[in-house]
Amino acid sequence: MPHDLVIVGAGPAALSAAIYTCREDIDTLLFEKGAIGGLAAVTDWVDNYPGFAKGIAGLELSDAMRAQAERFGAKIELGEVQKIEDQGKLKKLTTTEGDIYTKAVLIAAGSEYKQIGVPGEKEYYARGVHYCATCDGAFYRDKRLVVVGGGNSAVQESMFLTKFASHIDMLVRSKLRASDVLIKELEKHKDKITVHLGTTTDEIVGNPPTGGGKVTKVIGTDTASGKKVEFPTDGVFVFVGLLPSTKFLADSGVGVDDFGFIKSDLHLMTNIPGIFVAGDVRSGATLQIASASGEGATAALMIREYLEMQERGPLPQAVVGHPQLY
Amino acid sequence: MPKNITIYTTDTCSYCPMVKQYLKSKGLPYDEVNLEKHPERQDEVFKMSGALTVPVTIVTKQDNTQDVVIGYNLARLAPAIA
Repeated sequence: MPHDLVIVGAGPAALSAAIYTCREDIDTLLFEKGAIGGLAAVTDWVDNYPGFAKGIAGLELSDAMRAQAERFGAKIELGEVQKIEDQGKLKKLTTTEGDIYTKAVLIAAGSEYKQIGVPGEKEYYARGVHYCATCDGAFYRDKRLVVVGGGNSAVQESMFLTKFASHIDMLVRSKLRASDVLIKELEKHKDKITVHLGTTTDEIVGNPPTGGGKVTKVIGTDTASGKKVEFPTDGVFVFVGLLPSTKFLADSGVGVDDFGFIKSDLHLMTNIPGIFVAGDVRSGATLQIASASGEGATAALMIREYLEMQERGPLPQAVVGHPQLY
Repeated sequence: MPKNITIYTTDTCSYCPMVKQYLKSKGLPYDEVNLEKHPERQDEVFKMSGALTVPVTIVTKQDNTQDVVIGYNLARLAPAIA
């Protein structure tokens, strides 16, 4: 039996959608290859999600969303969707857990942290170069760190890392692009965090990686003077933006924009009928947990409409009383 | 069935519960070493995995050979516990 809906991902957009579809008795299966809660789950602290006056830990928020979706019957499969094939009224998904058929698909696969692309980054990956402060910060107790980036994630995760590190050099290519609230908060940590504006990250240097060597310094450039600058460090955390998680869509026919984000219409449907998109992976998304949750709810209502129309066919205009969605 | 499974974790790592949940779903018992409570064991996991990250899962098979799985990586973890 095909499912009514398979959701690719289990982040805020996916879990919000599942809450809505499960409450409508739409058989819903979610597939998650990483952490349930997506990037929200690996975010130390969330201060701008409505309903939590004092803020909430990203992991706690994700757990609550998961529990709420499961309370209404959402099933979360731990596995990876590798391919989506449009077969008309049914979609075939190739996954690590076998082939699955479904009437509708919601792609809410989210995004992943972007790499800088400098020498040393790949060589010292996970042995000095990291992209998840909540996962790997504990390895740097009383050690020096470099954080690369100047957006919300870089500022927030730098402050989290002060729990462990003795000192943090933040290398910011141009200027800080974080929210005013976060920038003010950052100033309270100036005893431990030094911000270097106008500083590029050019190379990550260490002992030979093949011999179990670790990172020893970062070489950058002061863009004002053009001079090379060096930062001795034990580790580097990189937060320079996000990339859409869409590799599994190659050859699927789903339309993406120039940056790889999935294009949708006003009803959050892609160019393929029955395949919808919501959250960070959608072209035009604002990359916020609150907006991802909202998009998930919207997508769920659009999917309900789509599934009903597949069952009964289009209604006469006089009966619906408003423009039909499909 | 593996002879023993050990997972190295930290308090704030969100991928660590995913590995534990996956092993539970397969009915496999495991030992957990929390590196925030036992920082003296960080070198041990680095020597075995070559990585300063968690989760790291060490699967010891019946013939005492070991598979080391870094992160929440089902493509590596699933065959390691088969």
